[in-house]
Amino acid sequence: MTSIQVRDVSYQFSNQEYVLNNINLNVPEGSIYGFLGPNGAGKTTTLRLILGLIKKQKGEIEIFGKAFDKHRIEILSKIGSLIESPSLYGHLTAVENLKVWQKVYQSPENRIAEVLQMVGLAHTGRKKAGQFSLGMKQRLGIAVALLHNPSLLILDEPTNGLDPSGIVEMRELLKTLNQQHGITIIISSHLLGEIEKLVTDVGIINKGRMLFESSLTELMKRQHAASTIYFDTNNNAQALQLMHQQKIEAQIEKERIVAAQLSKQAIAQINQTLVANSIEVYGIRAIENDLESIFMNLTNN
Amino acid sequence: MQSFIHSFQSEWLKKKGTLAFWLVFIGGFFIPLIFMARGIFYPKDFLGELKSPMFWDVLMNRSWQFMALLLLPLGVVMATSLVTQLEFKNNTWKQLNTTPQSLSVIFFSKFAVIIVMLLQFFVLFNVGIYLSALIPALIHGGADFYQRTLPFAFMFKTTSLFFLDCLPIVALQYLISLQFKNFLVPLGLGIGLLLASLIAMNWQYGYTMPYSYCPYYFFSLRQTKIGPNQVNFHYWALGYFVGFTLLSYLLFINKKEKG
Repeated sequence: MTSIQVRDVSYQFSNQEYVLNNINLNVPEGSIYGFLGPNGAGKTTTLRLILGLIKKQKGEIEIFGKAFDKHRIEILSKIGSLIESPSLYGHLTAVENLKVWQKVYQSPENRIAEVLQMVGLAHTGRKKAGQFSLGMKQRLGIAVALLHNPSLLILDEPTNGLDPSGIVEMRELLKTLNQQHGITIIISSHLLGEIEKLVTDVGIINKGRMLFESSLTELMKRQHAASTIYFDTNNNAQALQLMHQQKIEAQIEKERIVAAQLSKQAIAQINQTLVANSIEVYGIRAIENDLESIFMNLTNN
Repeated sequence: MQSFIHSFQSEWLKKKGTLAFWLVFIGGFFIPLIFMARGIFYPKDFLGELKSPMFWDVLMNRSWQFMALLLLPLGVVMATSLVTQLEFKNNTWKQLNTTPQSLSVIFFSKFAVIIVMLLQFFVLFNVGIYLSALIPALIHGGADFYQRTLPFAFMFKTTSLFFLDCLPIVALQYLISLQFKNFLVPLGLGIGLLLASLIAMNWQYGYTMPYSYCPYYFFSLRQTKIGPNQVNFHYWALGYFVGFTLLSYLLFINKKEKG
């Protein structure tokens, strides 16, 4: 079951080129979906379309299995969102800010203290939201999004402005919300490293096109498949010749042989062949590409 | 309806401590405070005026004079723009438009808050007028004060018609403020339109100017020969109010970007 399904959605601002081009997105229920892409890739536009903040021009958007256009209010009652910078009334305190939204959502009054406790802002008292640090504002924005116990959280770069400990706290909070409360979360970021410890599913977008969408496990497999093996020998030219004879793709780079991903057995076999042909093997190393470089490769291509 | 009430409550909370909030109180009591101070510090003049059976008419006329010509229209321009701009200033349109309420509820609840604030202002102004006579009378022992019956019916009628004459300003300022992010645009246009309306008052078609009805009504109360003959400008005010509100609503719900 998917919480969000976006099919063939395109979008352009006035007569400019398309900022989104036939986007397809599937956010599984109960997942933490990392929506990745460099700045200007189309992440925020996609999220704003999902929330109905901009009018859909082409394609279909279904949330909780229902068309957004026809069930807007019902759908929005189950969604909490934080798009770009937090939306807060600077002249009001944290509690007053939450009261403003509590009236609309008609959530119980004691929920205000609960969410403030959750995001670590219970101590802010009479301090106005306008005087908060960026990190505090971000956390209050999350509290607003959580106020009505949503089933789906849409967070656009929520770690912006947070210090490293704030990022870790946010990650833990989102994990808890997902695992203990069953909230599906879609979180956008331009930094894979920042969310790879958090997400279960990944979508990568660049220049308005989806480049990749699958589970994090699948992305890890790609990472593994993209890993390379280095051979360091006393006669690289002869060793390379022997490898080619065994139909193994390899080339010499910076005085060492670089081969594509090989199984453990294949590595042992090559080693035996090299030694049998009087080639001294000084080292064999497997280097796995990190997720960051896979992301870079995808977005650069 | 429930949704509208909840939305109204939410909108009402937002204005707490804002300039618009204070504008209602300061604006409501500003002129009465001046007359109260006059009554306290110049008791001879005040007690002399109390002897006149026309005491309340004179006091009200004076109070409305400064209010109707400039302060009231200007205050309405400012308060409407400030309340509406609160969302742009705090970058909250996107949050508001993703709450589970219809766009109509969002539009009309905010609009209703402005109208109720205007009513609040009129109540405070009238209370202020009463206090501006009562307090000096208590201080200086003006026994005549108790002989003068407050003309409630006149007060109610005058206030109601001034309220009606303000509504086109509220509706047009609301329309402009919803469309422009920059606070200076609605404020500048509002002041510009108000000045244009004042300049055009002697023009035979001056009644077509939507910001002119408060001054026209004030002059009609004084029976001064300024203003349209045989034209009931209150109907014009009502017509403009309905027209601007509908246009504003259509523009709001059809806005391409909602935050």
